[in-house]
Amino acid sequence: MAEATRVHYQEELAALEASALGGLDLVGAALTGTLEAVAGQDIARAEAVIADDDRIDGRYLEVHQSLIALLAKQSPVATDLRLISALLHVIKCVERMGDQCVNVCKLIPLTGSEPPADARMVERIVAMGEQARVLSEEAKRAFERRDVEMARDLVRLDDVVDDLNRECFRLALEIGDDAERREWAMTMLLAARAIERIGDNAVDIGEQVAFVVTGLFKEFEDASHPEG
Amino acid sequence: MERPAVTVRPGEFRNGSAERGKVFELRDVGVDYGGVPAVKEISMDVHRNQVTALIGPSGCGKSTLLRCLNRMNDLIPGAVVHGSLRYHGEDLYGPSVDPVQARKLIGMVFQKPNPFPKSIFDNVAFGPRVQGRKKGLEGIVEAALRRAALWDEVKDRLGDNAFGLSGGQQQRLCIARCIAVEPDTILMDEPCSALDPISTNKIEDLMVELKEEFSIVIVTHNLQQAARVSDRTAFLMVELDADEDNRWGRLVEYDETEKIFTNPADRRTEDYVSGKVG
Amino acid sequence: MEAGGVASERARLASAGARATVAAALGRQPRRDVALNAGFAALLLLAVLIALAGLAALLVQAFVKAAPSLSPDLLTSMPSRINPEEAGFRPAILGSLQLIAGVMLFVVPVGVGAAVYLEEYADKSKWWNRLVEVNIQNLAAVPSIIYGILGLAFIARGPLDLGFVALTGSLTLALLVLPIVIIAGREAIRAVPASIRQGSLALGATRWQTIRRQVLPAAVPGIATGVILAVSRALGEAAPLLLVGATVFITFDPTPFSEFSALPVQIFNYAVQPQEEFKALAAAGIVVMLVVLLAMNSFAIWLRNRYEQRW
Repeated sequence: MAEATRVHYQEELAALEASALGGLDLVGAALTGTLEAVAGQDIARAEAVIADDDRIDGRYLEVHQSLIALLAKQSPVATDLRLISALLHVIKCVERMGDQCVNVCKLIPLTGSEPPADARMVERIVAMGEQARVLSEEAKRAFERRDVEMARDLVRLDDVVDDLNRECFRLALEIGDDAERREWAMTMLLAARAIERIGDNAVDIGEQVAFVVTGLFKEFEDASHPEG
Repeated sequence: MERPAVTVRPGEFRNGSAERGKVFELRDVGVDYGGVPAVKEISMDVHRNQVTALIGPSGCGKSTLLRCLNRMNDLIPGAVVHGSLRYHGEDLYGPSVDPVQARKLIGMVFQKPNPFPKSIFDNVAFGPRVQGRKKGLEGIVEAALRRAALWDEVKDRLGDNAFGLSGGQQQRLCIARCIAVEPDTILMDEPCSALDPISTNKIEDLMVELKEEFSIVIVTHNLQQAARVSDRTAFLMVELDADEDNRWGRLVEYDETEKIFTNPADRRTEDYVSGKVG
Repeated sequence: MEAGGVASERARLASAGARATVAAALGRQPRRDVALNAGFAALLLLAVLIALAGLAALLVQAFVKAAPSLSPDLLTSMPSRINPEEAGFRPAILGSLQLIAGVMLFVVPVGVGAAVYLEEYADKSKWWNRLVEVNIQNLAAVPSIIYGILGLAFIARGPLDLGFVALTGSLTLALLVLPIVIIAGREAIRAVPASIRQGSLALGATRWQTIRRQVLPAAVPGIATGVILAVSRALGEAAPLLLVGATVFITFDPTPFSEFSALPVQIFNYAVQPQEEFKALAAAGIVVMLVVLLAMNSFAIWLRNRYEQRW
């Protein structure tokens, strides 16, 4: 008689997963705002994104506390335990992704509202941001579907971000001798770096998908494992 | 030793009482058996529509305390209850309270399932019949069995002897029997300790559903069960007197279950729930 | 090579030895134990055979002696001192039936009531209750003739002054077997587990409701068995009846308020007559009684087995 038992617990766990993954939607919105601020050198927009990060932090605290409570009260084992462990990682990644957006937005006022010194760098950075948003959406979908192949594919998507980051670096090197231009370029490099980190966080979420499904934790690819 | 029947009507307390939200208020409640204390100075409030768990090592008096709540200790010769125990604001041990009436409002489910040697129908109908109901029993029995998540399994064999049911089904039958009387509180004394894990899960799920309508107090020696089902948990411990001749139970900590199992205030609670001390 | 050969030989012997030891340990039983077991079993079997032999002797003798006069007329004819051909047991049988009906009417309410009081209401720590308990056990062992004297003094004459009628006989026999019913009733009530009572009380039933609706119904098989055993004992009693007026020679059908007779008394009377035919008649009476008693006891056993509550 395969009746469902511990129904309330299962429902609670599913709701928490939805809440944690919902954080990625908040990150997507923050990214959109950030990219608008970067493209338009819009300080007001940047400040709005910074203020909104409270929501992401709030989501992190709420989900984290609930996960700890669920661990204490329900003594989860097997897949449930791996899922809760993964969600703890995921929500941390979400919070960091939000913080990286804030970091980018904090740099906007430093670059001033004047037209950018090198529009190509701005283009690259915006492209990186778009790709990072795609990455975070794909990561969310991969987790929801528990799709390991999709999770591994995140590495390929992240490679695009990494390539764009390297291009920004080259462009910055060629910016010239003007002190203001150099200052602008280095500030924009910091922004690019922050977005590159967002991409890496999305890949981390992919690794958690593999952990939930296989029970093994293996790094897909990072600085020390370039081939994956 | 007859006491005049108290004018307590079932349902009277569901909508309001002296202290809104509290079912039991215990102040310095203690129980002696023949002069020997079993439990001392328990003060706590049990809230409405919650599951309250009593946990603690063997001999700490959890079942003794539970039996105070429906005057079942009256049946034990030599048992004396001290302190103040209020039920919806009324003194449960007051001179005008009839224990028989009290037990209609405060039901009990025991550790070992104890169905009567009668048919399933007669088991559930026993409570209402004893209260004088003669008509409408089929409806009451069906409603109670549905509420106890047993109806689908027994609806075609209500005339069968209750002893033919499995252990888990028997315990759900006892719960249905209790519900049929329409109490407002259900006390459960280690209801799952004689059952297999699947039946235990079913009854735990049932408890979470039942608390919408009833207030539940459960004694359990299974810590994980207390963590899973209860909203508030009371931890009792055994205390020894100087000569180590007498032992009695005392309330150490009583708080929201989440707090007890993530960050208890008392060191002794921490040691007990993490299994470091038996 | 030689050393290796010896070593391997030793190893082979050692492992073979080990296996043999285990096999021996598992299979071995000292001959003394086997003999004692068999001897003890034989002794027990002998005890059973002796008991069965005694019973068989009684039955065979009764049937053999009764053979000439066994016929349905036994049950319908009036007794006769003169003519064994036409003598029967009719008034005795009717008398016995009335006696046991009277016994049941009296002993069931009083016996069950006493059992309920002693088990459910009496405070067992009080000395007078313990005294009552001890005395009831004693009463079951009192010789039946004493009850006859009691009946003569207080029922036939004395306060009740009913005279020598069937009702007197019923009451006397009822007093005799009352302890059996009380003891059986108490056992049956005690066998109902406390968990049933607690479950009932926890639902808001009163003490009396619990007893009436849970305890007594569950105890009925045990009580019924006790009543049947008591009645079958009463059926076979002769001594007390002799003292309260069971006359051996009535030629009318008895009523509760008339003079009466009973089967055991009638058998006794026939048995002491000099004629052989009367002895055969007595034997026939014994057969009738044995059949009835056997049937009643078998019924009691069947009842107990069928309805016994296994907790």
